[in-house]
Parts: sequence; C-alpha cells; structure tokens
Amino acid sequence: MVLPVYKASENIDTIREAADRIRKDCIRMSTRAGTGHLGPALSLAEILAVLYKGVMRYDAQNPKWPERDRFILSKGHGCLALYSMLSQAGFFERSLLDEFCSVYDTMLPGHPEIKLPGVEANTGSLGHGIALGMGMALAARIDGRDSRVFVVTGDGELQEGSNWEAAMAAAHHRLDNLIVIVDRNKLQLGDFTENISQLEPLADKWRSFGWGVRVVDGHNIEELLSTFKQVPFVCGKPSAVIASTIKGKGLAIAENKVEWHYKVLTPQQYEELKNEMSLEELCHE
Amino acid sequence: MNEQKKSTRSSFAEALVEMGYKNKNIVTVAADSASRYGDFVKKFPERSFNVGIAEQTMIGVAAGLALSGKIPVVTSYANFLTFRAIEQVRVDIATSGLNVKLIGTDTGFSSAWLGFTHLALEDMAAVRAVPNIAIIDPADAAEAYKATEAIFKYEGPVYMRLRGRKEEPLLPVAEKSFEIGKGQILAEGGDVLIVACGGAVYDSLKAAEILQSKGMHATVVNMATIRPLDEELLMKLTSSIKHIVTVEHHNITGGLGSAVAEFLAENNPDVRLMRLGVKNRFGTAGSEDMLKKEFGLDSESLGSRVERFLKDY
Repeated sequence: MVLPVYKASENIDTIREAADRIRKDCIRMSTRAGTGHLGPALSLAEILAVLYKGVMRYDAQNPKWPERDRFILSKGHGCLALYSMLSQAGFFERSLLDEFCSVYDTMLPGHPEIKLPGVEANTGSLGHGIALGMGMALAARIDGRDSRVFVVTGDGELQEGSNWEAAMAAAHHRLDNLIVIVDRNKLQLGDFTENISQLEPLADKWRSFGWGVRVVDGHNIEELLSTFKQVPFVCGKPSAVIASTIKGKGLAIAENKVEWHYKVLTPQQYEELKNEMSLEELCHE
Repeated sequence: MNEQKKSTRSSFAEALVEMGYKNKNIVTVAADSASRYGDFVKKFPERSFNVGIAEQTMIGVAAGLALSGKIPVVTSYANFLTFRAIEQVRVDIATSGLNVKLIGTDTGFSSAWLGFTHLALEDMAAVRAVPNIAIIDPADAAEAYKATEAIFKYEGPVYMRLRGRKEEPLLPVAEKSFEIGKGQILAEGGDVLIVACGGAVYDSLKAAEILQSKGMHATVVNMATIRPLDEELLMKLTSSIKHIVTVEHHNITGGLGSAVAEFLAENNPDVRLMRLGVKNRFGTAGSEDMLKKEFGLDSESLGSRVERFLKDY
C-alpha cells in the first residue's frame, strides 16, 4: 500500500494544539467576516483535530489520492472549524483563511464546497451527509479499497428524516467502513433539541437501526482517539459515535447559549479577549 | 408507420446492460425500483444497490458514488425522483455537476390509472428549475435505446423521462441517429411548425397527416432534448414558418412549451405560438387514451386545434 504523506500521530499535545488553533481561527475568521456559525464550529474542534491528526489517512499534497479516508461535514454550517483544520493539515495556504465570507466567490463560503481542496462534498442543507458517505463507502467496497468514510452530523440535524433513511440502508448494506459522529451539543438554531423535537434516547435509536454505538466526551482527546481506533465497533455494522459536546466551547460568553448558533464577536470584543485568549491580530498589516 | 411495438422502459434496460459490459464504472442505485434496470442487477450484482423506498437516500448515495468516480444510474417514478428528492438532486448532484443519470419513469399519461400521485406532468418543470442538468424525453423505444447510450457518453447530470411498461409503436425516429441537444425533423411542411417531445410525438405526426389531408402542411420536430434546447434549429425553422405549436405530455408551464416560448420571445418574437399540453391542472385516473382526449392531445384533437390556430391567427 502507498503510504500517505500525512502520518497519524498519537501525540496528544499535537492534537490539543490543533484543536486550540481551530478555536482561535474560528473566532478570528468569523470576527473578521462579521458572520459565521461560531457556536456550532467551536463544539467540533477536538473531533476534527483527532480525526485529521490522529485517525484519518490522507495526502494533502494529493487530495484525490484514491486510497484516502473521506470526511464529510454533514453539518456544513460548522465549516469554520473544518477550514482551519484543512489549512493546518496542509490542503491550502493558511492565508486563504482570511477570505472566509469576505471576497466574491470565495473558496471558503458559509457552507463548504468541493472547490476547496480537502472538501469531499457540498454540504449545507442538513440531512445529506450520511447518504453521501454511504455512496463513498459502497464505492470503496466495489474497488476493494480499505478507505473509511467519516461523517459528522449535528444533533439537531438528526430531526431530518433523510438521516434515518440512510442509517437504515447503511446498516442493511453492512457498511462497517462508514462512521457517523454526532456532534451532540444539545442546541439547535432555535432552542435545546429536547425542547424542539426530542432526540433522546439517541444511542438507542442508532442501536435499533443496526449500528455499533459509542457515547463519548467529544472534548476528550484521549477518549475520542481510542474510540476512533476501535472502529468498526461491531464487524459488519456501521459505527455511530455520539460525541457529547458544548456548543460554543472555549469562548466563555458563547458556551451553551442558543443565540450563539449564528453570532460572532464584534471587533471590539475580539480586542478585549485577545490577550486573555492569546488570539492573533485581527488584521495583519 | 412502423408496426413494431416496444416500451421505452424495456429499451432503456437493454441498453443499460450493454453499456454495463462496456463501462465497469456504471452502477445502479434503486429505491425499490430495481426492476427498471432489467437484467443489469442480475448481470452485475456487485454494481447494483437498493436502498429501499428512500428516494432522497438513493440520490445521496448516487452522489457519493459519483464523487468516487462511479457513473451511477438512479430511477424511480418521475414524481418521487424529482419532487421528493429534488433537494438532493440540486445540492448533491447539480451543484457539483456530478456524472449521475436520473431516470424518471411512468411520465406523462403512461401510468394514469395510478392517479395523480403517480402522473408525472410537472417533473420537467422541477428539473428545469435546477441549473446544470440535461433533460431528455425520448419519442419511442428505439430513441430511448440510443439516448441511453448517449447519456453515458455525456459527462454530467442528465434527467431522462421514460414511460411505463406499455408497448408503444416505433416511429420514423428509429432510422435517425440521436444526439443530445439536437432536434429531428420528422415531417416537412411550410404552414405550421409542430415541436413535440416524448409520448406526444406519435400523435403530433398523426395530426400532421390529418392536416395534410386538409391541405395544411406541417413541419414536425421531435425535440427529444428539452435542455440544452436546439435553438439553432428553432431559429432556422421559424425564419420561414410563423405558426408554432408545442406539444407535450406535461404541464405547459416549465416543460417543452415553456422552453420554446422563452427562447422565441427573446429571439424571434415575430411568430405566433400555441402551447399544447396540460394547462394548470393535475391529472386524474384514467387510461392513456382517456387522458389524451381529456387534455385535447389525441391526434384528432391536435389536428383540429392546430387547424383552428391557423385559421384564427
């Protein structure tokens, strides 16, 4: 097998640094642009850092390397975090992050598009990622590749029925190369998920659909790493990881606050937090 | 006309199997609709997937396969493929220009006994509203075969309309070659231009014969590709013929009639246009013949409507 340029690391500090970098980039990009889904990006930091630094096989110099693992951000509105992670992984220059929602036809719009190296599918409309991932997992099976497909969904997103169609079909087809990670931050656009349309018992739902299930702390790097290393949890079954997270994690005023689904800092707030959070200059000269 | 009969669906399935041998990247995804692929599933089980009655998942899975280099074919009743899953068609396939072939069956009046839920009279309108997808409505089984070969040579998303299991007469199009984006002249006459697609071509030709017997001469074009529209042919023919009639087994909003009207209004407004099809109504249960009569689309009704159009305008 061809070795990817990128080699998975089990260095917890490296992964923690990447997650920290994601948070700072998300805050900076969204403040610069004056827009962005900050809360739903911040809950993703450790999940993405662990996947890209410790689990997935890919070659950022050759993004279409056929043997690579695939990643789909079904909750496309969390793209701030993905953009930061992809730049850290080497898919594009870090300076491109400054173009988030600020230049016409940007490679980094408010939801991810395949024109950006490293993005595997257009997402943004909720409830699409699992079926897309299922197609990629079937293609790997046809081609005899051991590629795995990682799909991150939101928790509110699971109110879309299309997810459960795909969940049923993926289990039927015994796609144990498909892994869904639910960013269970418990909040959706309008309120807590359980106040809008109850998701719990969520792990039971996945189990009853024929998936191997783990519930983990989505901000605990060691736990995420060891969990992802165990996939598939059950041979012949797709895997669901319900990652318990905090929306807005790492930005105190945003944590667990419904209004921070789609809210950003003002430049003034950014300046006030800059030293305390070791944030970069908002604008480079 | 040729007395041989065949259904567009069986022709599609035969061509699909042939193409399956030639190109191992072709895969099928079914939403409990695998029978429409004929022998393909039996011949290529490792390339055939059924996701259950879940059209949205069928489209998403096809998109995932296409993103991995496969050429997926999906099929369902046209209404469920288009309206049920149009959001997946738009976001997962059209925006990325993925090489997925969407096959909507039982279009027009071909399965009308199933009632309005299954009568696909607005499917082209749904797909035409989404950029980037070629739209094909073959006139008969022979053309469906050639169109199936053509869509696999075409790189990008295609929506093709097929009809039901019923065997239909083969038309003179059988002798002509098929090319995406090209209309075919099936009859020539200088009084009126009839532009038809799909199941409406047969009755349009019959209507032209009726008109002929009354001394009115029609050019009949089989416009099997609704997008990209053969604008060159329309410009050429409407430079001399000023009475234009479109005929389709579809709502006149959003389908062939709309496409022709939009083009002529902007490029050659010096013509009279009459759009024949279903006008702002749903279909209802009935035989194909009953529905064609009800909507004035059988050959006799077409003949007299065109005749009146020529006399009144």
